[in-house]
Amino acid sequence: MVHRGSITALVLALAFALAPAARAQAPVVAAAAFSASCAVPDADVATSGSLASLGAKLKAGDPVKIMAIGSSSTVGIGASSRNHAYPSDLSGILAKALKGSHIEIINRGVSGEVAATTAQRIRDEVDVERPDLLLWQLGTNDALSRVPPDQFAETVNTTLDWLKENKIEVALIGLQYTSKLARDANYIAIRDVLFKIANERHILYIRRYAAMKFIARTRAKVRLLSPDHFHLNDLGYECMAEQVAHAVVASLFVKRFRPGAAR
Amino acid sequence: MPRPANAIDFWRGCALVTISIDHVPGNLYVNYTLHNFALSDASEVFVFLAGWAMRLVADGSAARSNPGAANWRLVRRSGRLYVSQIVFSLLALAILVLGAVVLNAPFLYDWNAAGTVFADPVRGLIGLATLLTQLGYFNILPLYVILMLMAPVMITIYRRWPMLLLPASLALYAVVLASRFNLPNWPAPGSWFLNPFAWQLNFVLGFSIAGKTGIGAFARRFRWPLFVVSLPILALGLLASQTHFAPISPQTPWIRLFVAFNKTYESPARLINMLALAAVVPGIFEVLHRVIAPVTSAFAKLGRNSLSVFCVGSLASLVGQIYRYVVGGGALNDTLILVCTFLVLWITAWYTEDLSPRWSLRWPSR
Repeated sequence: MVHRGSITALVLALAFALAPAARAQAPVVAAAAFSASCAVPDADVATSGSLASLGAKLKAGDPVKIMAIGSSSTVGIGASSRNHAYPSDLSGILAKALKGSHIEIINRGVSGEVAATTAQRIRDEVDVERPDLLLWQLGTNDALSRVPPDQFAETVNTTLDWLKENKIEVALIGLQYTSKLARDANYIAIRDVLFKIANERHILYIRRYAAMKFIARTRAKVRLLSPDHFHLNDLGYECMAEQVAHAVVASLFVKRFRPGAAR
Repeated sequence: MPRPANAIDFWRGCALVTISIDHVPGNLYVNYTLHNFALSDASEVFVFLAGWAMRLVADGSAARSNPGAANWRLVRRSGRLYVSQIVFSLLALAILVLGAVVLNAPFLYDWNAAGTVFADPVRGLIGLATLLTQLGYFNILPLYVILMLMAPVMITIYRRWPMLLLPASLALYAVVLASRFNLPNWPAPGSWFLNPFAWQLNFVLGFSIAGKTGIGAFARRFRWPLFVVSLPILALGLLASQTHFAPISPQTPWIRLFVAFNKTYESPARLINMLALAAVVPGIFEVLHRVIAPVTSAFAKLGRNSLSVFCVGSLASLVGQIYRYVVGGGALNDTLILVCTFLVLWITAWYTEDLSPRWSLRWPSR
């Protein structure tokens, strides 16, 4: 889990770490705070993973490239414009949280895509763009296309192996929550497989399902979904971006794995 | 009368069936198609064979007696491919809308990258019309459109300076891989899934090896040594695909795509694996045709009518995807999808080849 309290500590640790060497170039770090509509308990944000290499590059003042890849939630389907897709929102949040940093976020979302197709694109896109961090949003279309969970797991694991060999850090972004899909056994099976993979491999895993479910159950007036009750709306993408930013900033300086909690 | 079954049409038919299977994600038979046993997949075979077929046309008496008219036919074919791409993309969108409405399944608006069009129809339609928006699994025809537009240039070079065609194609390929140039997507970000300026080498290789001169003559003269050399290459391809091996991407940008197993840019390893397949596999047709002629003839029929079969097959795969969402996967459902897809493809070929001429109806092109 990423603990909100621990973020403050991490921020302070970072400020301390940056002080002697790279004060002129390194970004000033502030916690990526949640807005009132999007705030969720620490346990529902993400499971822990280290993005230490990204942190080191930021600390050195180097420019970093983040590639957001995935399906409709990455494209921003349901948002009022492309500027409200989560990678766009994330760019603004990280710019504030990591002042002075040079972060480029590339959106490579393709709507409706299953993990196997994205896995092929990841290899192809990484060859061209060589990002420092890959944000891989996945699972929803595999569940709905009835991809067997073990086949899905194999696709994810082999891709993560390749990314690891290529020293590219990755954060997995899980499935969204809707009341209808919560009753779909295959959907839950894919969600659980993804959680298991992330936990076993100590990879940062954004617990989108848990966060959206918490907001849906505790704030009746907060609507994260567009009128089709499936895609996110502007607020949904803003909350997703805040959740990702929160987890990423907290993971920049995590060096060792801390066990996650229940999904 | 259609031409008798031959190896090219047969393997083309096999590639078409394989593509249809690969385009239903999660289905059982995806685990048994070519990409599980080699670095290359059916789309590479398909493009290689298209180049091969183009050489047969280029060397035909009609094309040699009137090269200008032959070139114009290629441009017209490019136009027909373009129209097919547009029509079948629109039909795919209609199927997704129908499925989304009938099944109350809004996520179907996203499938096959259709979300770009539905979310922003004004720019999405311009994207479709300009081929800068391509639905998922509908990426091969835009590649063909460009290849057909390039074909008159290729054939002109072949006629005037036959020894220059392959080096020119290789040079373009090398520049594209080193510079990472590709056509853009629009309005969605990114670039074409199959880069025509890289894939043209695959097409030219098919074109060149099909001939009885130059590299084609070399391939025939040293058929058996090439066969033997290809076996370990195929073994390595099998090993790499089974173990999901992919090389580490070098830090130096310009050499990255030469080393990778990149599909968009048709990296050398994939090409070499496909050439090894071409050196080993074709002879199998003769054996199979002697033993199971009705089956090989059925596949060859698909291959002879590749455009119509490919287009209808794309829609059949989409229906198969939706069917799996509704009914679920499993051996029974996936087998049913496979059988129905093959039947739909065969009926399409039969309609195109046998029925439409009799009814004076014409499919836009074979």
